[in-house]
Amino acid sequence: MTDVKFIIRTADQTRKAEVEMDRTNQGADIVQAAVDNWALPTDTDYSLVNVTTGKALVPSQLLDENYVRPGDILEVQPVLVAG
Amino acid sequence: MEAQSRYLRHTLIDWFSQDEVARTKVAVIGAGAVGNEVLKCLALLGAGHIDIYDFDRIEVHNLTRSVLFRETDIGKNKAACAAERLKDLDPNINVRAFPGDFWRTLDLTAFGSYAAVICCVDNFEARIRLNFLCKLWGVNLINTGIDSRHAVIDTFPFAREPDASCYECTLPASVYQRMSQRYSCGGLKKMAFIEKRIPTTVITASLAGSLAASQALRLGAPAHKGSRRIFADSITGASTASDLPSREDCPVCAQIKAPVQISRVRASSRAELAPLARSNAPEAGEVTLPEPVIVSYQCKACGQGEGQDKPLLWRAADHDASLANCKACAGEGAVDIQIRDKLPLTVLAEAARLPVPFVMTASDWGTHVFVF
Repeated sequence: MTDVKFIIRTADQTRKAEVEMDRTNQGADIVQAAVDNWALPTDTDYSLVNVTTGKALVPSQLLDENYVRPGDILEVQPVLVAG
Repeated sequence: MEAQSRYLRHTLIDWFSQDEVARTKVAVIGAGAVGNEVLKCLALLGAGHIDIYDFDRIEVHNLTRSVLFRETDIGKNKAACAAERLKDLDPNINVRAFPGDFWRTLDLTAFGSYAAVICCVDNFEARIRLNFLCKLWGVNLINTGIDSRHAVIDTFPFAREPDASCYECTLPASVYQRMSQRYSCGGLKKMAFIEKRIPTTVITASLAGSLAASQALRLGAPAHKGSRRIFADSITGASTASDLPSREDCPVCAQIKAPVQISRVRASSRAELAPLARSNAPEAGEVTLPEPVIVSYQCKACGQGEGQDKPLLWRAADHDASLANCKACAGEGAVDIQIRDKLPLTVLAEAARLPVPFVMTASDWGTHVFVF
């Protein structure tokens, strides 16, 4: 098991942290950690985007080297439903 | 007024083809806040053919975000009213209004003629349905969403890339959990569910609307490969553009195998399904319905029920959980309801009335869609 250190932030950039997580974690785990630690609204759904590579992560995606590299910035974006 | 004079400024833009825009046929689903902005842009740009779908009526609170609606329009259907206003904006464009639920008013035999479908709805269920239709028919889908601060525009180029990732590929599991709160097991509506209201403003609506219109008409930029999301912050002006990956276990992509063949089955001669159902063709077995239907119900206490001999084929979404309470013996939750999203083709061939607009079957050779 290897860890990867990256930056996670909210879409409005009011919350930002450097975190180190095991690569066996999934995208959904990061979102859940952000919701829990930052007390993000729980009546909203979130997706995860690696803004450094310009690629969204599917919820089941592991933090594989191909998707998250050390120092990358991952953004937790609300899934917008109003129209 | 001559169209040439009207679009004079557009003709000065070297990358803008007014003729191409005039040839474009677009469907806009939802004429609310974002829909208004999309429609305004399409009309002013001279999009040749615009179809508007909305079941909803204009309320006074819509007026703060809807450039096409007036106080005197309160109570009118949104699609019909928006269509009228677009004709005022530009009489050269061809606009049609389809009041009602798009699931029922869409002409699926002509669905493939749209260059793009722009999704401006306000719920996940409608987005998921539109995504499914666009993926199946190979029609480009532009999905939009807003809140009070952000706007999102997803572009799914299914016409050019049938294998492109779809809306559900990146949808978190929490969305399905949230949707399931609205329905009891099997797809019946829960009786007391209060819809969450999300505050929005015309700022985010116009941001989403203009970008969506631009993506639908593919203005100014070379085609980007794959599905893509633009996420914009209306306060800071920051935006991100990201590629949307596909996932193997996507509930949509996993069940649609290329190539897709679409066949029209005339309502007057549904019996033409019968020979196919009796044959050894891959379609002869069970077909998948695009939504669950109730085939029968029976009270476990008194035996009262329907559909035991001939399947009922009622749309589950048209019924709520009160169906589980027996009307004959007043047994609460005593009724056993059989709900299916797959049925033998023979059942549909014998049905007097079909509850769904199409059915499909998929195997290694591809996907066959029967449109009714």
